Amino acid sequence: MNFVRYAFFLGCLIPAREPNYENSVRKIAPKLGVELVEMDGANCCAPFSVQSVDYISWLALAARNLCIAEQMGLDILTLCNDCYESLLMTNMILKEDRETREKVNAILADVGQQFKGKTDVKIFSDVLYEDVGLEKVKNAVKAPFNGLRVAVQPGCHLTKPKRIHFGERTGVRALGELVEVTGAKSISYSAKDACCGGPLRGINDVVASDVAKQKLDSMKAAGVDCIVTVCPFCFLELDRGQLEIKRHSKEEYGLPVLHYAELLRIAMGMKLEDWEMKTHKIPIIKILNTVEAK
Amino acid sequence: MSSLDAYFMHEVANTPRGRGVLACIQCGRCTSSCPVAKVIVEHNPRRLMEMIILGLRADVMLGPVPWYCLSCFTCLDRCPQGGDIGEAMFAIRNLAVREGNIPEGILTQARSLFETGRVVTSSRMALIQREKCGLGEEPRIDVEAVQKILRKTRFDKLIQRDR
Repeated sequence: MNFVRYAFFLGCLIPAREPNYENSVRKIAPKLGVELVEMDGANCCAPFSVQSVDYISWLALAARNLCIAEQMGLDILTLCNDCYESLLMTNMILKEDRETREKVNAILADVGQQFKGKTDVKIFSDVLYEDVGLEKVKNAVKAPFNGLRVAVQPGCHLTKPKRIHFGERTGVRALGELVEVTGAKSISYSAKDACCGGPLRGINDVVASDVAKQKLDSMKAAGVDCIVTVCPFCFLELDRGQLEIKRHSKEEYGLPVLHYAELLRIAMGMKLEDWEMKTHKIPIIKILNTVEAK
Repeated sequence: MSSLDAYFMHEVANTPRGRGVLACIQCGRCTSSCPVAKVIVEHNPRRLMEMIILGLRADVMLGPVPWYCLSCFTCLDRCPQGGDIGEAMFAIRNLAVREGNIPEGILTQARSLFETGRVVTSSRMALIQREKCGLGEEPRIDVEAVQKILRKTRFDKLIQRDR
């Protein structure tokens, strides 16, 4: 098998809260010809919260990660929409804006780095769609889902803002195709492009829940069995968020949430372990019953 | 009504990511596409732009107004003017932080970043789970490099509560 190699940028949230996501990616990547090379010493991507405090701090921290990948001579593979947005946007700004680049490089010099603009940033679904290809993903499916009705949750920063997603890479449509090769059905619903509310969790919980409710209402109305996402923030917000909503408004959705990597792993015939099942607050057992063993 | 600051619009425009305020024509397309504006009346991006244009500096900077936006960037793709209110939100927040206006949730993440190099640190549960499945310890972060950068940008001073 020909392997594509990527600098593997894991970020903070996934190792800290969703090791089930990381584990699934590490299990399926080698089987699909993707080699994940660890980025030693890499720091937080500097998301929303950091960008809110200070512009140059954001760029310098994100750029340090880009520099590490540059030194490895590899493009970055990230698993998180927010890491994706932060690293992509920083890469674009520093390539285009010489004055800011010089300012950031003056800071990076203190930690022995310099931004050269020689790396690209991709998210896992990009790599599956563009490098691995639908055909190969499809061939890896050994235990297809039997028409499982899925609400695809792309997450905002997979495609927005358009200006950093040149030519809109995988996008929403491609994610639907990736879901369908597992034998599941991607069901259209009205709030597909809408935000999950996650960024305001911990800052303004009422608003976060109200935004998530709009999304969940729309999914429920479309009659889906479960939600599939590629973003760890969307995962937390839509999974744990359902418990928050239940506590405050008594409304119950009972919609299980899976990472795309988990969906594919199950379809490839690899079972989730007990502790992984338990990281899902809304039980996913009924999804597993829709797998057809070949 | 608080006093007007005629230069406020330019202050925002001259803060990184704030340029878009100069292009706003008050059409309201941002508000009609905003997921937060759909659920609460306190957040209205068009009105926020208007407050900036008019120079209502204190009303914008000293209250909760900068902290309702989700940064979903829907408005960025919808704005017919390249007004970029979703981007300008970061300029407004950067300025608000310098006035000491920073929510506890943001502060917690910022402090964690300075201390550990991560905005989110592991729960004990996650560490046990990592151990169980052979993922091992979390990836190593060069905290010293992170702190060097953040001292240089004076980020550490910005997140001190009692400045």
